[in-house]
Amino acid sequence: MGETTPAPTHWQLFWGMQQVALSSFGGGLSAWSERIVVEERGWMSKQEFVTGLTVARLFPGPNQINMAIYIGSQFRGLSGALAAMAGILLVPFALLMALGLAYYELHTSMAVNRLLAGVITASAGMALSMGFKIAGAYSKDPIALGLAGISFLAMSVFHVRLVPLVLVAGPLAMAWYWPRQPKVRP
Amino acid sequence: MSVMASAICQPVDLSDWQNLLAVIWDFLSLSLFSLGGGNTLLTEYHYLAVDKYCWLSSQQFAEIYAIAEGAPGPSSMIVGLLGMGAAYREGPLWGVLSGVMAEVAILLPSTLLMVAAALSWNRFKDSPLRLAFERAMGPITLGVLFAVGLKILRISDHDTPAYAVSLVVCVLMLRTKISPLWFMACAGLLGALGLVNR
Repeated sequence: MGETTPAPTHWQLFWGMQQVALSSFGGGLSAWSERIVVEERGWMSKQEFVTGLTVARLFPGPNQINMAIYIGSQFRGLSGALAAMAGILLVPFALLMALGLAYYELHTSMAVNRLLAGVITASAGMALSMGFKIAGAYSKDPIALGLAGISFLAMSVFHVRLVPLVLVAGPLAMAWYWPRQPKVRP
Repeated sequence: MSVMASAICQPVDLSDWQNLLAVIWDFLSLSLFSLGGGNTLLTEYHYLAVDKYCWLSSQQFAEIYAIAEGAPGPSSMIVGLLGMGAAYREGPLWGVLSGVMAEVAILLPSTLLMVAAALSWNRFKDSPLRLAFERAMGPITLGVLFAVGLKILRISDHDTPAYAVSLVVCVLMLRTKISPLWFMACAGLLGALGLVNR
């Protein structure tokens, strides 16, 4: 984007992210985030936004919340990050708390219980699809597939907890994948 | 129908400050291990909420996961529902307070790291550390996500029709762009009609 847009204030960050959260009811948070931040408000160029997504996916934490943090901190540092994060979380989290209260109040009723018995079979299918969704990216790397297989067996068969698994397998895998210096100089 | 957690499980009393701090510490220390968007932590959440602290039964955990998946907004807000479950028997207000504290605890460390990352990215983007980290964590995330999927499948499904529905939903999730809410609505109907049981 060629023209310079003034950096958004804390309030603008808060409301902008709230608009992202509200627009995405029904799905597509990432697409709405780009539409509002890049196209409507012009806070970032498309390229800056994609860089942000790369960072948000690389670091721990929910991707969409990390993206809001990235956007906020680019303009207003830590306090901007908190403003953007509050914007993206406030309404969905309030709604979730209301759903939670309804659940804990009603889940012992017979009708709700039967309904939920069906619903959880669908969410289990959704959970199962998560691994398959990213598996294709590794299909040509036998080392990666081996590493994935070992991580899976460690957790599912040997009941290793996630934290020790990552602390042991992580550094070993990083040593393997450490970029080698090219030996031939151009 | 087994609504209550098993009798041998003794719930941690959250009115005791030391226990509350222990719970907050558990979520704080998991935060930086939420690889690949946070879903990798689901087996750890199950371990804490069902096995360690006995807030919920496995069945309730499966139900809460379904609610968090169906609700709009960013992923991994399930922690708010777990926190609510931890304190709900002390009243709805305590439930909400505990839910907010659990969510803050799981998000705080990763938020601070993300701010630091966003502000110093240009210095790190080409470092070998970043490249090695990115390549190494991908396959581990893949393995963990399969373990998470299998765990949720095991606690949700108990008979052949239930497994059949889950497999169909899994395939449709991968092959189509239909909103998952439709799958949940259809499966809920099957449950209400008594075609899928626990």
